Amino acid sequence: MTEKKRSYKVERVLERMKKKLNRQMVASLVACVHCGMCTEACHYVLANPDDPTYAPAYKADQIRRLFKRNFDWTGRVFPWWVHAGNLYTDEELEKLKDIVFGKCTNCRRCSVNCPMGVDYATFNRMMRGCLVSVGIMPEGVAVVSKDQWEIGNQMGVLKEDYLETLDWMSEELVNEVEDPAARIPIDKMDADVVYAINPREVKYDPRTIADAAKIFYCARENWTMPSEEWDMTNFGLFSGDDDLGGGVARRLYEKVIELRGKKLVVSECGHGYRSTRCEGPNWAGMDIPFEMESSVITMLRYLKEGRIKVDKTKNTIPVTFHDSCNNARSCGLFEEPRELLNLVATDFREMYPNRAENYCCTGGGGAMSMSEYTPLRLKSGKIKAEQLKATGAKIVVTSCHNCVDGLTDLIRHYKLGMEVKQLVNLVATAIVVEKKVAVPVEKPLEALAQRSSSGSAAMPIKS
Amino acid sequence: MSDLLNFVENELQLIALGFMGLVYILRIRWILRYKAGRDRQAPTGSSNTTSAKGAIYSLFNIAMPWAMESTRQKFFFYLQFVFFHLAVAANILMSFLIPYAPSLIKPPFIFRSLQVLFAIGCIISCYRLYRRLYDRVINLISTPDDFFSLFLLTIWLFVSIWAAPNHPDQGEGPLLAYFVLTAFFLMYVPFSKISHYLYYPFTRFYFGRTMGHRGVYPLKHSPQPKPTKN
Repeated sequence: MTEKKRSYKVERVLERMKKKLNRQMVASLVACVHCGMCTEACHYVLANPDDPTYAPAYKADQIRRLFKRNFDWTGRVFPWWVHAGNLYTDEELEKLKDIVFGKCTNCRRCSVNCPMGVDYATFNRMMRGCLVSVGIMPEGVAVVSKDQWEIGNQMGVLKEDYLETLDWMSEELVNEVEDPAARIPIDKMDADVVYAINPREVKYDPRTIADAAKIFYCARENWTMPSEEWDMTNFGLFSGDDDLGGGVARRLYEKVIELRGKKLVVSECGHGYRSTRCEGPNWAGMDIPFEMESSVITMLRYLKEGRIKVDKTKNTIPVTFHDSCNNARSCGLFEEPRELLNLVATDFREMYPNRAENYCCTGGGGAMSMSEYTPLRLKSGKIKAEQLKATGAKIVVTSCHNCVDGLTDLIRHYKLGMEVKQLVNLVATAIVVEKKVAVPVEKPLEALAQRSSSGSAAMPIKS
Repeated sequence: MSDLLNFVENELQLIALGFMGLVYILRIRWILRYKAGRDRQAPTGSSNTTSAKGAIYSLFNIAMPWAMESTRQKFFFYLQFVFFHLAVAANILMSFLIPYAPSLIKPPFIFRSLQVLFAIGCIISCYRLYRRLYDRVINLISTPDDFFSLFLLTIWLFVSIWAAPNHPDQGEGPLLAYFVLTAFFLMYVPFSKISHYLYYPFTRFYFGRTMGHRGVYPLKHSPQPKPTKN
């Protein structure tokens, strides 16, 4: 009997897998005892009780079988005994793509519920990266990754549009606080805070930029926003492409170093915070010479230090808080948002389960950019929808742009009649603006024009 | 005691143990060949925890049924897990006690207690086999190795009930069966899912180290809020 021949792409996937396997992943790949304790931790399973193929252990086994057949001795010698198996065709890779991208948001809920400590999300991401390396990925992942590589941000926002938006938001801020000097500083050297944002804010939600600017203004912060390399999101986290992850993270870090910023503050974004603060240094292989924090922590600090004052009675509508999986389960950011929420809103209602045990909004893992899986995503959102409904809140607050979109979709689909907001919106609403004399700041576009004429250039990605 | 029983109780066990040890050494070397990932970034989350705390918490996670939602919600399954593993551990211990310290299990209270424990383990094992056959998810993910390993343990626990009194003078059959099965078990384990305990320290340590560094472990529980008036 002749052995079946593997396609070129399958061969490359296996080569990539060999390079990407580390001790943590190998241990997770061999340690599963098929006890099934992870099953009910997964929102896909809970929303699809009749389909056992959503079980995390089953999904993990589709990667594990490949590992066993090619890297583990028992699987090599007795493949049928341990369900080891190979892939041969591109069609089989496509099927695997639907599992690793379409049936898992890498939320890590099964990982924290596994008695063996099997971290499925980590090797699922690894397999995503292997497939991406041969061009097998959802269309949206390809488009977004390309934008992030080529244009420098994941939504393909052009520099001119970005700066115009900042200019517009500066005008809004000036009008709101009635201070002509209250402008967004661009590329200011030696700032105490360099503020990086999600391109979604520029494209769909510029109000969050104005809100953040208002808070920095009221706190009298010495801050700035970069004119380039301002995107703190990183699609490498979702695509599993560590080269993209490292390149994007490095770009931002080097920009902060170039501006001699003391601290990088990232706006409210789960995957942005995780990839910039927690994973980026590992992907980029860099030791970071400045501090990094989420704007949630920054806002809380301003309140604790008395740098801003708030009137919580301006937020009286009942609110609940949704923990982003990346923030809570992968970066430990779950107490600060609650503390802040309690300081700026009068009626905060906890969701159950919460913190690191929270359910995914179903928009995680890049799912919002994979429209082919939208019906499945919305169906699996039933669990989150029930959680939201049970709180009785009218506003769900979250510190993540992906979650904002994911939750907005669910609220519309399940007719929950709720609104999604971010902490920055609530803080900006509650903040008490004190009249003061601020340091004059140049208009962004004028400042940029001056810098362009003095020869400042964009920073390329270093491979 | 016959020469055959003497051989299976002693030399055969040592050969099987030696084989298992050798394969385990190779297995650990294989895992260690893979580079361990590291966390370059500064710690996040609660300042009350560290990588070390996270790793320790993770390693002992299994002894804290309250620590994970899965074990909290399936407490009966957790109890089964505890008794099943206690029975297996006691059985392994007995395979050393019978040849090397038989007096320790001679008191009727001791061997009767062991018999009860093995019987409980055997019943749980049967239930687990049933679950593997009839639970749709578990059946889907079960491999022949999963079934065989569980079947082997069920038989081994069953036989150990009869071997526990250690009365070769009343017939060597149970003891012969017990030690032959033990030897087979020792040789098969390194190639089966039963060797999961070898990987447990690796998965738990690294996962806990990362989660501790990121302030997630020890996990903070999220108590169910009291119902609101609305």
